[in-house]
Amino acid sequence: MSLICENIVKTYSGKEVLRQVSLELQPGKIYGLIGRNGAGKTTLLSILTAQNPATQGTVSLDGQPVWENRASLKQLCFSRELNANAESGLASMKAKEYLRIAATYYEGWDKDLEKRLIQLFALDVKKKMGKLSKGMLSMITIIVALCAKAPYTFLDEPVAGLDVVAREQFYRLLLEEYAATGRTFLISTHIIEEAADVLEDVIILHEGKILVTGNTQAFVDSACHVSGRAEEVDAAVAGLETHYPETIGRSKGVTVFLKPGQSIDGSRDVSIQPVNLQRAFVALCGEEARHEA
Amino acid sequence: MRRNVAFWTRFTWETAGVCAAITGVLAVVSILKTDRLDFSLLASVVPYFLCFSAVFSIMMVNTGAQTLYVPLLLAMGETRRNVLLGFQYYRTLIIAVTVGVCALVWLLVPGELSRTGLRSIPTLLFGLLITSAAGSLLGTLTVKWKWAGTVLVVLMCGVAGGFIGFVSAGDLNLAADTVQMVSYLTVLPWWLVMAALALFAADILFQWLLLRRREVKL
Repeated sequence: MSLICENIVKTYSGKEVLRQVSLELQPGKIYGLIGRNGAGKTTLLSILTAQNPATQGTVSLDGQPVWENRASLKQLCFSRELNANAESGLASMKAKEYLRIAATYYEGWDKDLEKRLIQLFALDVKKKMGKLSKGMLSMITIIVALCAKAPYTFLDEPVAGLDVVAREQFYRLLLEEYAATGRTFLISTHIIEEAADVLEDVIILHEGKILVTGNTQAFVDSACHVSGRAEEVDAAVAGLETHYPETIGRSKGVTVFLKPGQSIDGSRDVSIQPVNLQRAFVALCGEEARHEA
Repeated sequence: MRRNVAFWTRFTWETAGVCAAITGVLAVVSILKTDRLDFSLLASVVPYFLCFSAVFSIMMVNTGAQTLYVPLLLAMGETRRNVLLGFQYYRTLIIAVTVGVCALVWLLVPGELSRTGLRSIPTLLFGLLITSAAGSLLGTLTVKWKWAGTVLVVLMCGVAGGFIGFVSAGDLNLAADTVQMVSYLTVLPWWLVMAALALFAADILFQWLLLRRREVKL
């Protein structure tokens, strides 16, 4: 039972926010969706779960279209990042009311888990959403995602505003739930390094296009940072895919992405260091920002 | 669909609660304004208060439903078709409950005012249908053009507040004035029927057009 999207295009006022995005999410994995602000992450998640219509393209679950198909939609849960400001109608809704509506609509809703999580997060559900802090709204997002028990669960910035203890709690709960049920999770996050250990596969979205999709460890292992004298570095990485060059005087550093069968010329006098997921992501997507700065 | 019905049924009772609360306020105000309390007369008048409360509550609730609950239900994985159907179910239920309670009270309480009330049920029914359609059209308008919706909601609140002020501050004779006012309702004018049907059709059409391409923002 895979969730497949094919050639998704989304335009707003003539501007393409998603450009021919194709993706397959397999069951029983934790995916990470990372991308810079405005990359199209929330738009993609909204389209995958039929909350927003695509301009072009299709999304299907187990061969059945997701759009206007309740049988497919029952298998999906997209717990959105909540924004209960004064403009939003949510501000005047009590947290318990929001959770009650979620419990009504998600067939597999786990009431006991809901009670446990409310206690664990010390969440005052009698408060109106507008009175809750950003972190508390994230806790509600997490409660909905975990209690819904949907086979495919999407979380948009679930740890935004959470303190480090609550973030640790979230990752522990996520892994507990994953181990117990084998549900598929797709988590969009900016706090990459913290999440890296739990993300089996990573999807990097940049300016509406998917740059990378695949096993997180394999992706990280394929990247390294090469530094040394500029001419030595240039010679060592000749013909390889390089990103994010940094030059200080006669020294140079560059991030290299190796394809299968490729290697760095070891005869050169260069230092080769492994990189983490965040560093690899910045190398891929941060170049233009640095040039602009 | 079962869960959709469960949600909208609860939503109906919550709206009914708002109607009951406003009716209670109007009843208390009219008791305070009366020199000699006549329970039979009051009982015959209360259904009209209920209808007025329903007009106001349904308008406001329908506006809120379009702006908040529709995207919320889409965010919970409901289909657009079911959201539209669920809303029609709620609309039917709240109007049926309001008219049903009015009819029951008028059947139980004897008197000229009750007989007039029973004869005015068709007019009230179409009046509530107009209210319901206008409320959700207002909600649809608010989703598309927030400023226009806000202006209309403020105007509506002003009219409702003015009516309550008129009832509470004016020199009203509850029996005579109510009989005078409701006598117009015993005849169902053709234009009211046409207006109700046209607004209802326009409401469904605009709701669906908006819903079809609606994007969830919470």
